[in-house]
Formats: sequence, C-alpha cells, structure tokens
Amino acid sequence: MEGSVAVKESWVGKDVKRKEDLRLLTGKGQYIGDIKLPGMVQLVFVRSTHAHARIVRIDTSKAKSMPGVIAVVTGEDIKTKLKSMPVPVVVPALPGKFPQFWPLAVGKVKFHGEPVAAIVATDRYLAADAAEAIEIEYQDLPYVGSPEAAMKPGAPKVHDDWPDNEIFSLGLTGGQTPEDIAKHDSEVDRLLRESPVVIKQRFKVHRTGVTPMEPRGAIANWDPSDGMTAWVTTQRPHIDRLALAEILDVPTQMMRVISPRDQGGGFGVKAPFYREPILVGYMARLLGRPVRWLETREEHLMVVSQERDQVNDLEVAADKTGKLLALRARMVADNGDGCEGVYWGFVMPFLGAALFPSSYDVKMWDIKVKCYVTNKSALSPGRSFGAFPTRFAMERMIDLVARRVGKEPVEVRRLNMIKELPYVTATGVTYDSGDFHKVFNNLLDRVDFKGFRAMQADARKQGRYIGIGFGTGPELSGVASEVLVPMENQPGYGAATIRIDARGKVQVLEGDAPTGQGHETVFAQVIADEFGIHPNDVITGTGDTSHTPFGSGTIGARAGSYTVSAIALACRHLKAKIAKIFAHDSKITAGVDDFEFARGHVTYKKDPAIRKSFAELANRIIMAPLNLPPGEQAGLDYTAFFEADKPMICFSCHAAIVEVDVNTGRLKILRYVTSEDVGRMINPQIVEGQVQGGVVQGLSNAMFEEFVYDEHGQQLTSTFENYKLATAADVPRIEVTDACTPCPYTPLGTRGLGEGIPGPVPGALVNAVCDALAPLGVEINELPLRPNTIWKAIRDRATK
Amino acid sequence: MDQNISVTVNGLRYERRVPIRMLLVDFLRDELGLTGTHIACTYEGVCGACTCEMDGKAVKSCMMLAVQANGRSLKTVEGLATDGELHPLQKAFHEHHALQCGYCTAGILMNAQEFLRENKSPTDDEIRRSLVGNLCRCTGYAHIVDAIRDAAAQMRS
Amino acid sequence: MYPAPIEKYSAPTSLAEVLGALKGNSGDAVCIAGGMSLMQAVKARVVQPRHLVDLNNVAELSGVQVGADGVRIGAMSRYVDVACEKRLHGAYQALCDAAEHVGDRQVRNRGTVGGSLCWNYLAACTPPTCIALGAQIELARINGSGTERRTIAADEFLKGPLATARRDDELLVSIKLSAAPKHAGSAYKKWALVTDALPVVGVAVYLQTDAGGACTSARVSVGGLASGPKRAKKAEQALVGCRSGDDAKIAAALALAAGELQLQSDMWASADYRRLLIADIGKDVVASAFARAAGKN
Repeated sequence: MEGSVAVKESWVGKDVKRKEDLRLLTGKGQYIGDIKLPGMVQLVFVRSTHAHARIVRIDTSKAKSMPGVIAVVTGEDIKTKLKSMPVPVVVPALPGKFPQFWPLAVGKVKFHGEPVAAIVATDRYLAADAAEAIEIEYQDLPYVGSPEAAMKPGAPKVHDDWPDNEIFSLGLTGGQTPEDIAKHDSEVDRLLRESPVVIKQRFKVHRTGVTPMEPRGAIANWDPSDGMTAWVTTQRPHIDRLALAEILDVPTQMMRVISPRDQGGGFGVKAPFYREPILVGYMARLLGRPVRWLETREEHLMVVSQERDQVNDLEVAADKTGKLLALRARMVADNGDGCEGVYWGFVMPFLGAALFPSSYDVKMWDIKVKCYVTNKSALSPGRSFGAFPTRFAMERMIDLVARRVGKEPVEVRRLNMIKELPYVTATGVTYDSGDFHKVFNNLLDRVDFKGFRAMQADARKQGRYIGIGFGTGPELSGVASEVLVPMENQPGYGAATIRIDARGKVQVLEGDAPTGQGHETVFAQVIADEFGIHPNDVITGTGDTSHTPFGSGTIGARAGSYTVSAIALACRHLKAKIAKIFAHDSKITAGVDDFEFARGHVTYKKDPAIRKSFAELANRIIMAPLNLPPGEQAGLDYTAFFEADKPMICFSCHAAIVEVDVNTGRLKILRYVTSEDVGRMINPQIVEGQVQGGVVQGLSNAMFEEFVYDEHGQQLTSTFENYKLATAADVPRIEVTDACTPCPYTPLGTRGLGEGIPGPVPGALVNAVCDALAPLGVEINELPLRPNTIWKAIRDRATK
Repeated sequence: MDQNISVTVNGLRYERRVPIRMLLVDFLRDELGLTGTHIACTYEGVCGACTCEMDGKAVKSCMMLAVQANGRSLKTVEGLATDGELHPLQKAFHEHHALQCGYCTAGILMNAQEFLRENKSPTDDEIRRSLVGNLCRCTGYAHIVDAIRDAAAQMRS
Repeated sequence: MYPAPIEKYSAPTSLAEVLGALKGNSGDAVCIAGGMSLMQAVKARVVQPRHLVDLNNVAELSGVQVGADGVRIGAMSRYVDVACEKRLHGAYQALCDAAEHVGDRQVRNRGTVGGSLCWNYLAACTPPTCIALGAQIELARINGSGTERRTIAADEFLKGPLATARRDDELLVSIKLSAAPKHAGSAYKKWALVTDALPVVGVAVYLQTDAGGACTSARVSVGGLASGPKRAKKAEQALVGCRSGDDAKIAAALALAAGELQLQSDMWASADYRRLLIADIGKDVVASAFARAAGKN
C-alpha cells in the first residue's frame, strides 16, 4: 500500500493488545453470574442420585413450605404443559435417533445427575435447604454402563420406546450407488487380505472433555410487550433463540436470547441446546418474575463436558514402503443418554469419522461408526470436536506402520501426507488449500529432528529414554453450510453488520458469542485496516439476537474464517459507497481502488489534495445527504454475508519430545512444538495464545482428566479434586511456530484457528513415549496416559 | 443465625448483618456487589477463582465464611489499581495476553500480587508453582508466567 | 454448595474461651482452624455445625517454640509458617517438607497442622509425618471446673480415616517433639497425579544414626492408605544398621514396608503401583533423612 502521501498503518498482522482486557483485569466483567434483574429469583435443580431407575414417587410438599420457596416442579408437573424435545431446529439431518425428553425426568431417570425437580426460591441457600427436603423414591433398573453392555441382545433399554440402544450408525465409504459401494468395500477387503503390510490395532480414548472455568447458567424474564428475554451461557444465541421459541411456544419475534458480554470459556461445552434453559424460561413465564439458574461445578462435571470416549478398531493395509493402501475403521462411542439438542451425543463421533483420514492421502476407506446410548450423561462437544480419538488412532497407526516397515515415522508421514490441495477425502470432506508439507517441514526444522536422533542415541547409551512423536490434523476453519446444514441443520455462513456513525466511528454487530477469543480486538483490527481508522474507533456488539444478524455460533473457528470475512465484505461495500459519493462530490471519475483509506482520511491517490477525513465523509453521507450520486441513498449501515467457495481448513503439526523414567513410568515433556498454517494472521499474539491453551487442554485431557462412572453408574468425578485439570506446574510452555499459506477463499486470506488444536496432541504425546520406549518394544494405544499406565505397559511387555 | 460484621474491603469499611453460613465470596459478590471475584468450583476449593487477599495473605474466599472476615481487611481485584493507575501485574497481563476469557484472572492477580511481595525475583518454575491453586483453561499458563515475570521486573526497578 | 444453617458463631481470643465453648460438647460445636478441609465438608453438608467456634483469633495457639526440652508447635501454626521454620531443619524437617507441599499457596496461607491432624484425611501429609516424627499430641478440655490436659502419641491419636482420639469437648492444643537428638534427620515426599495434590502415597521417614552414619533407629510412616496413616515397623527394623548409599538394603527395607501395609487399588493407582511408589518415594526420603542426619541439607 505504498505510494501514497502517508504510509498506511496496518493493524492486521500486529499484536494489538486486547480491548477486552481492561474490564476483565479490573473486575468489571459481565458474566452471567453478574447480571441482576429486579425481583430476580433463583432456580436450583435437584438431580438424580441413581443411574437408572423408575421414579416411583416425588414428595415436594415439605420443600414447598420451606422459607423462601416460591415454587417446586417435577417432570410430572411440566410434561403436559411444556413441549418435549426434540424440536426440528436442533435436529441434524443425520440418520440418528432423537430421544424425546423434557427438562425434568419423566417416568424414569437415565443417568446419575439427570434433573428430576427444580426449586425456585428467593436465594440459593434457601433453595439448597429446600432441595434437601424433597423426598424421592426410586426403583433401580439395571445399569447400562458401556457400549458393550448396551449392544448385547436383550440389554436393558435406556430409552424404553426404542428397539435397542443404538442411537446412531453410519458407514462412510467410497462410492455413491450401492453397486459402487459394494465394489469399493470388496476392494478394501482385498487390500486388507493381500497387501504386504497389514496391521490391526484397537485404540481407546477415555471419557474426557474441555471444561470451561465458568459453568453454565441461564436467566429468563417474561415481559408482556417484549416477550421473553433469556440470557444463556451459549456459544449460539441465534440457534438457542429458535429452539426456545419453538419449545416454549413463543413467537420468534418475541423471543430474545442474549449471550452475556463476557463468558468464561466455552470450548464447545456451551454449544448444545440443553435442558436447563428451557425450564428457566418456562418458570419465568409461569411465575411472572425473572428466574436465574447458575450451574455449580458439581452439576457441570456430572452432566456436561464429557466427550471423546471411543474405541476405534483400525485395520490398515500398506505396501512395503509404508504407503497406506486401505483403512478400515470400526468406531464405537459411548453416547450417554443422548438427550441434548443439536448434538445428541453422536454428532461428534460422526465428524470424527468423517475426519478420520486426517492429513493423509488414502482413498480406500471403510468406516463404520456406531454410537450406543448408556446410563451416562450425553456426550457434549469438546474442543477438537470428535477428532481427538480419531486423530489419536490415525497418528499411532502411522507410527506402527513405520515400525513394521523399518522406516522413520517422519518418512511414512511424508510418504502419505496430502500433497495437492484442494483435496477431497474418501469420506467426502473438502480441504480447500494449504501446503501440508511446508507446515511439516517447518516443524522438523524447528525440532531439529536429525539433531534429536543423535541426542537420543547418546541418551540411550546413558540409560535414558527420550523420544519424539508427531501428531497432525487439518482442523475445520469455519464450518461450510454444505457440512453444517446436514450435520446440524444450521447454516455455516458468516454475517456481520457494519454501522458507521455520523462521527466516523464504527459499530460491528455479529450474532455469534465469544467466550474469550478476543473477537472485539480482532474485528477492530480488520475494520481499522479497511477504513484506515484506529481500532479504538470501533466497538463490537455480539451475541444478542435482537440486533445482530443470524450467526450459527462461535464454533469450529468461524470467527477468523467466516466472520471476519463477512466483516471485510461489509466494510468494502461501504468503502465503495463512500468512494463513489466522494468522487461524485469531487467531480472526478474514480472507483474505490483510486482512493486510499488511511490515518483517518480518504485520499485520492492521483491527487492527494483531494482528501477528506473519514469522519467528515460519514457525517456528509448520514447527516447531509444532499446531491448524492444518482441511485445512491443516505446511510452507512450494511450487512454482509460470507460463504466460502469451498469448505476450509487450518492445518497444523505437533511434535512432542519426552523423557520417560522406566522405573516409575513418570513422564517429562522436554519440548512441545507446533507448526501452524493460520493463513494470514490477524493477531499473532492471540493466535499463539490459542495454541498454548489448546495444546495444554489436549495434554491435560490425555494425562490427567477422566470422567469415571463406577459399576453402579455413580459418577465419581464431579469435583476438581477428582477430575484433575493441569496446573501451571504440570505443563510446559508450548513453542508455537507458523508456516502459513494465505487462504485463497477468504477476502483477507485468513483461516480460523482454535477448534482443532487439542486433536494432534494425544498422537504426538503417545508417539513420543513409544519412541522413547522403542528399545523395550512398548506400544501404547490407550488413553489416559499416566505414569502408572506407562509403568504397567513396560512391565507387561517385559513379561511377554 | 445472623451476625453483625464489620469488614474493610479495598479500604472501605462495610457494616452488615449476614447469615453465619454465608460464604465470604457470596458476601463480596452479592452483598457488596464486588463481582470481580468469581466462583468456578463447588465445595472443593481447588480452582482458585475466588482468591482475594485478607490481612495481607492470598486466601480462597469460597472456603471462608463472611463472619470470619469480621474486623479484618480485605482486598479484591477491584482494589488492585490505585488512583486509577493499574497495578504492574494488570499492565503486564495486558501486554502479554495473559487472559482470554478472564474468568480465572482476578484470582490469579490477587494471588500473584501477594506472591510477588514475598518473592521479588521468582524463577519461572517458582511462578508456575505459585499458580498451582489457580486453574486456567484458556491460556495454557505460558503468557501468565510471562506477565508475572515481567511485572516482577517492573516492580524491582 | 452451601452450608446448612449455622445457629451460632464464636470467635474466641484465648484458649480458655475456646475450652469454655467446648465444655460438655457432644458434637454441636465444631472448631474451625484453617478450614481447608472442614469447609469442604461444611459446604457439602457432610458436617453441619450448630455452633462454629473459630480458632483463628486465638494467638496463643500459634507459634513454634524450641527449647531444651524439645519443640512445641501450636496447633494453629499455618503450613506457610511451618514450611519455612528453620528450627525444624534436620531432625524434624519432614514436617517442613510436608507443609511446603500441601495443596497450593492459598491453602498454605490458611491451613494448619493441628487442623490436618484433627481431620486425619486419608490422603493427607501431616498425619503420617507426625507419626514418623514420634510426635506427641497435646489435648485440653474443661472437665468439671478445671482444665484437663493430656498428651498422647500421634500413632495413638490418629486412627482410621477421619477418625482420631480427640473427644468432642477437647481441643488439640499443640504438637510436641522431643529435643532433637544429634544425628537425626527426617524427610517426607508424596506422589499425586498433578503437582502437590492430595497424596496417592506419601512416605515419611525419621532416622537416627550413630556418629559414623549408621542408622540406629528409624520410624517409617505411609499416608494415602485406605486404612489411615500407618507405620511400617518391619521396614523400620530393616533400616537399622543401614548407611546412606546402602541402596540394596534400603530398597529391601522399603519392599518390606510395601509388603506389610494394606495397599488399595483405586482410580489413581493399582496396589502394585502403590508398592512401586513406596519404593521410589521411600528411596528419596531415606536418602534425604540420612543427609539431614549428617548435618547436610
């Protein structure tokens, strides 16, 4: 952008410090727990203490008469007054089953923690007292605690009206017609029979997920004129609005959902449409007072954030060079009860299946994924959304193939890694652009791979076990409509409204709800660059369905891919209008490219004397719209929509270097390095922050966290004492590097990053441990990865 | 069941009548409207988001009753900046992108500001250890460590 | 999440006042020390005090005194203070080790050694450490018109998990350690899945040596056991005669410890792994105890 009077300042690509920070650093955040409405009362859920049982009797009479109690409701009270789920807007076009359910259990309870009653009281302490006074009689039913138990013929049914416990079953394989599919499958069979290298391995990932630091909550208020307003800790206010309107029978124009301005993390956990906000809305209207529910951590760990939990049986056929020829995967997921809007527990395994091929060019795939309902809480999304278990399996399998053919895992990755993009996987997923090898080679440089092998050889002589492992994965950069409409019955486009005011300041409105990603700052950088103003001149409004355009939510890294693209398009539309009017006013023939928008001014490049401030022009167009060019109207508001030509990805490779103490199984991560293709980076510091956080989540999932149900279905991990998150002393600093290729399909060349970061982590980590222990012949194919599991694997191998 | 208490918070004295069982964190948030201190766990007291300072020591306010603060002097995140000037930690957090969702931030700031009074030149390992009682999900901790190290340097000079 | 209603709250400022509040108590009155364990139980409503007696204003319950007749650690001594109490170094340094690694620094600012002993959680550090150090527990109560004090050994005071010999009307006043002999050293270490979390296994060792460095007596205590903190007496006997560096003998002694104790399997570790941990942690702890007995740190 040189050649103008002043050098154009550029905000995109800079580490602009965040606009969000000041309020958050000084205790002025507005999270759901900080919102107070006059007359607001508190709702508390009473949850089942049994995993699977008929509700024989609920006696709420004592509770109702306790101090401060306004209302007590059970499933029986509401089932005739409230529509049940499912409602169409939160049902995907996938071949699964969608159980009927109400916000409170009706007839029976299906998992430890299912809500059975709700108390509304003037304060939460009194509500807790009343909760203790509710008497519930249960009649236990047999506990269905695993997919194995669920799939047995004659197994007790989690959903009484279903023929069995299968909620989702899908095959992903090549071919469109039944004949093609049969041909394809028999070719896969043949390759698995006849190839020189055939490996069959089971991979297991435990039940874990990405709990945000802020639990969930909802506030609802019913007003005769405005209708219902609901504040919900949701990543998807527009979707929640449609769903709440449907279930509560509120005309959509009278239903407003607001994601609080500040949310303490989401990571997918705040993406589903859950039971609780439904009941909060219902009670608010029933009681004619604002009602608030704030989830406790105990509730949260009992019922949400549970993801992954899969067994993947993978069979691979390869040639002697390690080139993969065919893969067959049988995936079985422990779905939980499946009563969860939008995802129903199984959408994550579905996407994991679709993404199974990952970074590798293998055309012959045969995948079958089956999800079974069990007496556990439904799987809810966790960052990397379904890909964590399948990435783990794929990356481990690459290393197993490498060891079988006697090659470096790096070489086998190179041999199989996709070379040409765009690429369509055998499962029908499009990867739009990028250079996978560039990203991988950058990583190998950064870890000094050759140097490491020399270091490893020395270490081995000293009796030390160090190893290096890799994990890769193309994560979704936004979710294209062609994927999101069938997968979630929701569109993928980005949308943004830009409103320039008469003083040349800008408001951007968009409908998704951030949970800490720095959207206000990133959007301001983009807008500031487009208009040549300062990021401080921009203010952002998000997550309020009343005045933002429709957005499917903060999911799948939409902001950096779709939303900023819509913002850029909206800005460019308005720039074109401003340029047209300015040219007309200046009596010159010029288009938008003849003007420079920089340093708060609009300047005609061919004659810098023709120059007006952005604010002046805004004022002229909004406040003094006289003598406009023919066909032009006043005003500088515009809403743009962006759908990419192709579904897009953001590719990354990770490397872990570890040391294992073979006497105790203890593991030390010596280095963890990532290589990212983020396309064109808007804010490198924010990108780095995303990777630091995402990798640590992956490490914490792999090593420390696990949701455990005992043999009676009692959930044992509902406190942070037992569900252990990594502390600062447990994880390393991640070295974040980049090897970017701008995306050709977005106006700015950006890619969205964030969603998939934990995905490559378990593969990198476990591959590193197995590389360290290669002299002992130890292979680990199961998570969690802990000192005691490593120690056992070493001992088991030694006794073989 | 109720008790009169007199508590100084961020230099202001408050006289209130509270239920004995009221948690200190709820007193700060609901009674005094100081919502900067957050609650992120139930009764386990592991997450540290509720950390504030009492009589010069970083403590978890969810693990105390309001009545226990009677006669004592507290500082919360709202009192960290003085006369409109941000504390070096707040500045450093901003510089180093040491917060994303911000939910754990107040607890970390209040812990770190006490830690730095005790240890003026901490190593990174010491900083990480000092943060064991503050869980963060978003940042992976690295930028927080950078910010605390930087703030310590600023405060030494 | 929220405590049950509490009827009465007292904040005494003297030991006499505390004992007065506990006089005739059969469970209605509960003392709160640091509250790091008690508040978990009160918030979960597992404990529902009718009368909460706050010990945090009783200055005379804090402090460490070291004299010719030994060490007296006030029950309300905070972990943060015990951790850096240099006068415990050498013979009784295990207590510093334990205090230094409880929970996190916020917990260490509030939590007390007396509170930990009275709570006797199975995954706690102070109880096994006090057993290994041969600590004497000083208790007091008002009986009739007078104050009755008694002192019992830590091994007798600490019973199964969450159970102690303290009567409802008694207060744990102090922890006493005899005057440190020459050539005595102790150490404590634990293992948990994440840093400084509740121990899966914790090992405390106290040993005395002769002037040449050979062990003349030892006390070994293990925490994290479902049965409560226990001494490993066979291991103690086997350590007698060992020197620092006698790796094989020390390993054999620790193997005896693992053998004589009942080790549970749970979601954190199998019994086998706990056995390994006792050997691994024990090795470090014994080495450290020897070094401290020799006057090194």
